[in-house]
Amino acid sequence: MVRTDQSVSALSVQLLLAVAEQIKLPLLQIARTAELSQVRDTTADLDSIQTTADMAIKLLDSYLFGARLALESDYRLNIEPVSVAAVLYDTGQQLTAMAKLYGVELQLDIAGRFAPVLANRQGLQSAMTSLGYALIEALPSLNAQTLTLHLAVHNSRYGVVAGVYSDAEQLSVEALRQGRKLQGHIRQPLASISPSSGAGIFVADAILQAMSTELRPTRHHNLHGLGAVLRPTPQLQLV
Amino acid sequence: MNILIIEPDTVLAKLYTKALQRAGDEVVCCVNAQSAVFSADERQPDAVVLELQLVKHSGIEFLYEFRSYPEWQAIPVIVLSNVPPVEFIDNWKLLQRQLGVVDYLYKPHTTLAKLLKTVDNVRTTAVQLSP
Repeated sequence: MVRTDQSVSALSVQLLLAVAEQIKLPLLQIARTAELSQVRDTTADLDSIQTTADMAIKLLDSYLFGARLALESDYRLNIEPVSVAAVLYDTGQQLTAMAKLYGVELQLDIAGRFAPVLANRQGLQSAMTSLGYALIEALPSLNAQTLTLHLAVHNSRYGVVAGVYSDAEQLSVEALRQGRKLQGHIRQPLASISPSSGAGIFVADAILQAMSTELRPTRHHNLHGLGAVLRPTPQLQLV
Repeated sequence: MNILIIEPDTVLAKLYTKALQRAGDEVVCCVNAQSAVFSADERQPDAVVLELQLVKHSGIEFLYEFRSYPEWQAIPVIVLSNVPPVEFIDNWKLLQRQLGVVDYLYKPHTTLAKLLKTVDNVRTTAVQLSP
């Protein structure tokens, strides 16, 4: 994908606007939790404050990573053979505390034989963490039958698909395309699944684009979600 | 007082609920407009605290639906939103007169104390909608 200086600048500004809007949420949660703790004269909410602050820092790291990629037009991530199952396992570890805070159960569907894929490990993990955060936050509003988020991998004829899924209705291809265009211009570019700026989804998209793939609506068994198709490494499949 | 909170973020929703319960109010919390309408139907609220940025149907859509029922037209609605009030300057009269919004709080700048005070102020407020 060829990006001009002007389009890169516009993309990064839009992404930063979405990120700035999004990062207000954990700060607001911390501020209000601290206020309530003071009123109740208790330290029982310190765990929740710590979880929110830790997650906000991780999220900001992912956002910065994505924003840096969006800013640097010629930047391409170093591609290496990566185990998607291992990345999703680590992503699950990163998101556990956050999911607990939102009452969402995380489930890993990573069993099976999957060839290593060509990706950047840090990039893929940041993308999946940003995506996971966005969907954890959104899931309670989506009329899901169960508050369960699946971090899953499966083989498709196009490659290995890594994604985050639930039984709630997810974005259509058209809604995601529109959302990309509207990002940074309106407050809720992905209003059908996110009450906020949806920054986590756009950051994941920016990181994946730097790995020459992109975020797309995908399905895993009977679940709906967002994921990326990754190319398997042919050499390592022979080993 | 029975308060219906419509807040899509469940962490914030729990905090607002705890604060209002502590002040002696009974609180029902909904994460989207659809469940809020069902909830109001089951148990009529005395006041509504509403975020405008919701999934699928916006807070404004909820207000139009809510005000279309005669029995809910006098219930005061406080907007507690991430949308800065400056973005609603041109539409404030519409929100106030036609949709019965009695106060507009910008969420990032609204402490729990301020929310409680605002809810306290609307205890005796009955909304009179203009056509």
